Amino acid sequence: MRKQLKRRTPHDESTTESAQREYDAKTSAPPRKAARVIVEDDYGDDDSDEEDDTAKQSPLKSKGASTLTTTATRSPAPSTIPPPHRSNTATSTEPAKSSEDVRKQLEEDKKLAAESAKRTFQGMYFTFEYDADAMLEQQKLDELDREVENEISGGPNTSSGAQQGAGSSSGAAATQGTLGSADLGASSLTLKHLIARIDSKRFLVKASDNQLRTLISEVRKGRSKWASEDRVGQEELYEAAEKVLMELKAMTEYAQPFLQRVNKRDAPDYFNVIKYPMDIGTMLKKLKSFAYKSKKDFVDDLNFIWSNCLKYNQDPAHPLRKKALYMRKETDKLTPLIPEITVRDRAEVEAEERRQHALDADESDDDDAPIMASRGRTAPKKGVKGGSASSKRPPTLAVDELSSTPAPDPKPAMHPLASGLRNGALRADSEVHDASSAGFNTPPPGNATPLGSLGVNGVHGSGAPGSQADITEVDATGASIVSSTEDAEEDDTEFKGWKQVTKKDRAQAAAERHRLFVGEQLKHINVDEPALLRTKAGMRRWMRQQKMAPSERPSAEGEMDEGFGDVEQTAQGETLAEGIEKDEDSTLPDYYTSLSAIPDIDAKLKWITDSEGYAVPQTDECMRMFPREQFKSPESTFTKKMEANIRQMQETRKICSKIGVVKQMQIQAQTYQNQFQKYEPQPFVEQDVGPVVVSDDGPIMAPWVCRAAFKRSIGKVFYQAGFEEFQPSAMEAMTDIASDYFGALVNSFKKFREPSKDDEGRPRFTFEEQVLHALHENGLDMEALETYVKDDVDRLGSKLGVVHERMKSHLADLLRPALGDSAGVDGVGAFNDGSEQFVGGDYAEEIGEDFFGFRELGLADELGLESLSVPLHLLQNRVHSAYQSQNQGPVATTGLTFEPPPAYEPITVDNLSNQIGLVHDFFREKLRKNHDEPLVEDEDLPQKQRFPKPRLPPTGKISSPRKRPLREQQQAAKKKRKLEESGLGNNQKSQQPPISKLKLDLPPPTTTRHAPDDSNSAVDPEKDGDVGTADNNALISPESIAAN
Amino acid sequence: MAADVRAKYRTEIQQMMFVSGETGDVSPETTSMIEGIVQQQVLEMLRRATELAGRRGVRTISTDDLIFLIRHDKAKVSRLRTFLSWKDVRKSAKDSDEKGGGGGDAGGVDDFDLATNDPTLGTGPAVGTRNNKTKKAKVGLPWDVSSFYAEQVPERDDEEDEEEEEMNAATLQRLKQADDRTKGMNAEEYLHFSECRQASFTFRKGKRFKEWAGFGMVTESKPNDDIIDILGFLTYEIVTLLTEEALKVKAAEDALKRESGGDEEKRGRKRRREPGLFDPPQEARTPVDHRHIQEAFRRLQKAELKTNYLSHVSKGNWQRSLKLI
Repeated sequence: MRKQLKRRTPHDESTTESAQREYDAKTSAPPRKAARVIVEDDYGDDDSDEEDDTAKQSPLKSKGASTLTTTATRSPAPSTIPPPHRSNTATSTEPAKSSEDVRKQLEEDKKLAAESAKRTFQGMYFTFEYDADAMLEQQKLDELDREVENEISGGPNTSSGAQQGAGSSSGAAATQGTLGSADLGASSLTLKHLIARIDSKRFLVKASDNQLRTLISEVRKGRSKWASEDRVGQEELYEAAEKVLMELKAMTEYAQPFLQRVNKRDAPDYFNVIKYPMDIGTMLKKLKSFAYKSKKDFVDDLNFIWSNCLKYNQDPAHPLRKKALYMRKETDKLTPLIPEITVRDRAEVEAEERRQHALDADESDDDDAPIMASRGRTAPKKGVKGGSASSKRPPTLAVDELSSTPAPDPKPAMHPLASGLRNGALRADSEVHDASSAGFNTPPPGNATPLGSLGVNGVHGSGAPGSQADITEVDATGASIVSSTEDAEEDDTEFKGWKQVTKKDRAQAAAERHRLFVGEQLKHINVDEPALLRTKAGMRRWMRQQKMAPSERPSAEGEMDEGFGDVEQTAQGETLAEGIEKDEDSTLPDYYTSLSAIPDIDAKLKWITDSEGYAVPQTDECMRMFPREQFKSPESTFTKKMEANIRQMQETRKICSKIGVVKQMQIQAQTYQNQFQKYEPQPFVEQDVGPVVVSDDGPIMAPWVCRAAFKRSIGKVFYQAGFEEFQPSAMEAMTDIASDYFGALVNSFKKFREPSKDDEGRPRFTFEEQVLHALHENGLDMEALETYVKDDVDRLGSKLGVVHERMKSHLADLLRPALGDSAGVDGVGAFNDGSEQFVGGDYAEEIGEDFFGFRELGLADELGLESLSVPLHLLQNRVHSAYQSQNQGPVATTGLTFEPPPAYEPITVDNLSNQIGLVHDFFREKLRKNHDEPLVEDEDLPQKQRFPKPRLPPTGKISSPRKRPLREQQQAAKKKRKLEESGLGNNQKSQQPPISKLKLDLPPPTTTRHAPDDSNSAVDPEKDGDVGTADNNALISPESIAAN
Repeated sequence: MAADVRAKYRTEIQQMMFVSGETGDVSPETTSMIEGIVQQQVLEMLRRATELAGRRGVRTISTDDLIFLIRHDKAKVSRLRTFLSWKDVRKSAKDSDEKGGGGGDAGGVDDFDLATNDPTLGTGPAVGTRNNKTKKAKVGLPWDVSSFYAEQVPERDDEEDEEEEEMNAATLQRLKQADDRTKGMNAEEYLHFSECRQASFTFRKGKRFKEWAGFGMVTESKPNDDIIDILGFLTYEIVTLLTEEALKVKAAEDALKRESGGDEEKRGRKRRREPGLFDPPQEARTPVDHRHIQEAFRRLQKAELKTNYLSHVSKGNWQRSLKLI
């Protein structure tokens, strides 16, 4: 019952349910006196609704099976419940809505109590000391249940056997031709019209008899084991009675003494005093043997229990009296739930119906109502279920759940009778008290009812003091269990509520704990017990409780009930895995299941990712972190100087590599795109160690890390000393030496720090002295250190700067000899001397060679040439272009003095006529090849398509990269042959003079530029192959000089 | 061998000592001791240089190997470099002169050039005026900054090496001393002095020096001219240093004698305690004795502080190697 109420998940289900609710409201609208009570068939368990529901769902089809599946998971007692008791009497559906509402109200109260108890879990810590009592009580209850079961299932259960026979006959009826003749139990009455209709149109229905029967049995839901066709009202009465009985029995604290028959041994004179002994166990037996004919019988029996007790135990201070009084109060509260029904035979009822029909149509709509009611209950369910027998439970439960949910339930408001619980309760009270044979010390109804609305706890909290004066009976079974401490704490309603709600679970937990130990004083661990294992379900539950704690939602008790099974779990559970393991009981606070506890992850330890998905490293302020930057060289002037030196070296090396490239290009005829790796040194960045947690001050004892850091420092010193790279072995050796040295240094420092023995612990030296002594001991003094800093760092820095400048200027010279210091802006100054440098170059003078023969020819004197060579940058246009961008020489910094001329317009078909006539044909041809697209300048072509520019390699041989047309080659070959034939010379030397002349006449740069075009009529000089000589003479082959 | 040695370089050593400040007539014991020390030093140098060369995988020792041995004495290295660069200058000048002038200069002039061009030996102004037109080339050392880089680039005129200047200071100091000493000299004395300044172990005595220094024994190679020159320079430096140190020792000894020994004299011959009018000049009285040289060498051999760092290494058979001075 508690579970059902707890599981309020209003978001779960949808319109069908609200429809259902409305429907329920409608059907329940006419006030009916006839009680329709749902009696639980579950004994030991207080959360038995789902089973109740399942029982109601499928009374016909698979009662036994469903009962078994649901009860299998529980205590063994309920699993022995016999199959449904159905006697073929009158219709059982005469629901007394009023009492149902009352019941609901009570359930609500109970639920509230449970919830409040649960809420106290969060705020209060309950000790385990009462668990042992709870366990013992529970054991007693279980014993009682077993006893009852044994008696019922024994000999006296003839009627149930008959009913079983009826049940099986319904199964056998499947073979019969028509459904009408099939024994469908109670449904045959309520659905008789439907069945008749189906029978008449049987050929139109495309379902087998079996299917139809299943359908009908599903439709006929809500039939409990008490249902009987022949006994009108029995189902409702017994269901209610059983529920009340269970309720009372569940109040173990008080009900304990009344569970079993009073033993004669315990109270020898008991049966002298008490004429009509009664107890709850006996009542259960009677219930199961259908001994009660009306509500009055049942209530009388109940009251007998309490009154017997009071009668026997006359002493007002007797502890049992209190219990009896309390129980009576509870009974008074519960009895209104039981509808005023007198079980009658069906025939009798029908006869009466007919009579009443004739008399008054308004008086009773018994005939319609059952159908309506049953439909109201069944029709929507059918829709939800979709015919699947296995999956029908969850939705139905949801419906039930919802209909019993107090908040959205419109019934109390709409129902005139049930609008207030109080009215019903009052009336019930009076009725009960009328019926009670004892008659005395009935608590005033006014006392009970208002409190009843407050909740169960409130009632017995206030009721108990009032009953102190009553006489109580001695109950042997209860005496041992009752502890005096409970009395003292009865005022604490919260505590009591908690005890009440969690009793069973606590008992279970205690029993489980108890099982783990053996021995006389439970000092030994029971080795036969299975190991304690964490379960997913347990941990989930624990999590839920943890989550619930802060939110304090009243309905957040999302505990899954064992009966709900897997489908239900997955329907609303958080994960699929949730359903794999069965959730178990739940009313206990989390500290009962310490095994399932999941330790909190510290927020600092959580895996947090930032917006880019990288894990944020968590560091904890409260942890003692090793101070940062300890594994890096400290920030100091000295370090900065060293780093500056290192940087300077890198920069210089960069320039150096450029110089190397230039030089290489001068040597090499062909260079490749990726021949020269660009020197891009990375700046040195020292990495610190990651966050380290230490337990104490002082250095980290991590020799390998320290050594690595030391190595890095040594590497830096190495680099600063000019070693760009070094062998690891050298590094290792140096590290060893250095660490050895530092060890010695520190050692002697320590020695000097030690206080002298005679001097009362005062250090012998000042700190300064200590340092100096330690240094001296190890071959160092301040002077040496200072010298190092001055010479090896400071002076090195300035030297490096000098070298850097030197390199830079050298590179600039190398690239742009003309752009020296005297060149001025944009190299204009280079022309001041008559541009001779550009005409002839002057390197030849430096070398002292006269390649062109200027001097020998007398030209040098004649023309007043200052230099005899061609500037390098004019020869090496590739070098120029490759390094123009990188060149950091003076050119890069100066702006353009003259605007570059505007680019030529591309030649198109349209503006071709603007060109001079000579080139028209040429361009037209080109355009035709280019599909009349505008022509692209050679310079603008993509790199690959560009024609290689004519250039002069350092070998000095003029080559033409462009393949000469075949015709030209042939011509040359012909010429060659002719020359050979003419015998003018053995080799080509004789042929050279004209060419040499030509070259000499032309300015050298022009020569180089146009060499392929101008001089290719003769033999190509590059084909000579005498590289050795060509190397020496930059421009002209030696033959030409010789010829001249 | 000792007798041979004595016979070999007695005059040179005497001359060198004279230039270094020892005016008196030095006894043969002293010179032979100095010669022995110098020889030991040269042998040690050659041995170590050979070792270094062997480490490079080369048999012949290079100038760099020699210079490396004295690298810690920066002033000396600087002097040596200057010496070498002037030697280059002299050589190229001689070449060009031979080319241009047809080799008109006599060898004697060249010799004189060498002596005077050496700033260590010669006087400053003469050097400056004589070699203005040819720029002296610096002698690069493998551990110089410029050798850090893969490319060697020519130096530029405007660069001033402050280190060089600083190193020159010591040289200048020495020159100034020589200047002071020669101030009061007459022409004859000065001629003697300048002749003494040209004294060398190696100059024009190449063969003798090679034998003396144990070439062929210590090193297998035929020595380079440069190496011989460097060794000549270094031997000169050693003698100078020894003499200077010995003079210091003697001065200290004399000072001590004058105090304590004076007392003895007072006891004996009190009258002579007062410096007499006709007493010979004090410094000229006694030349440096061999024990002074011994003491000076001992002092020079004193381990430097920085070798201390190996003090914790267990000594065992380990013997401190000869310190090059």
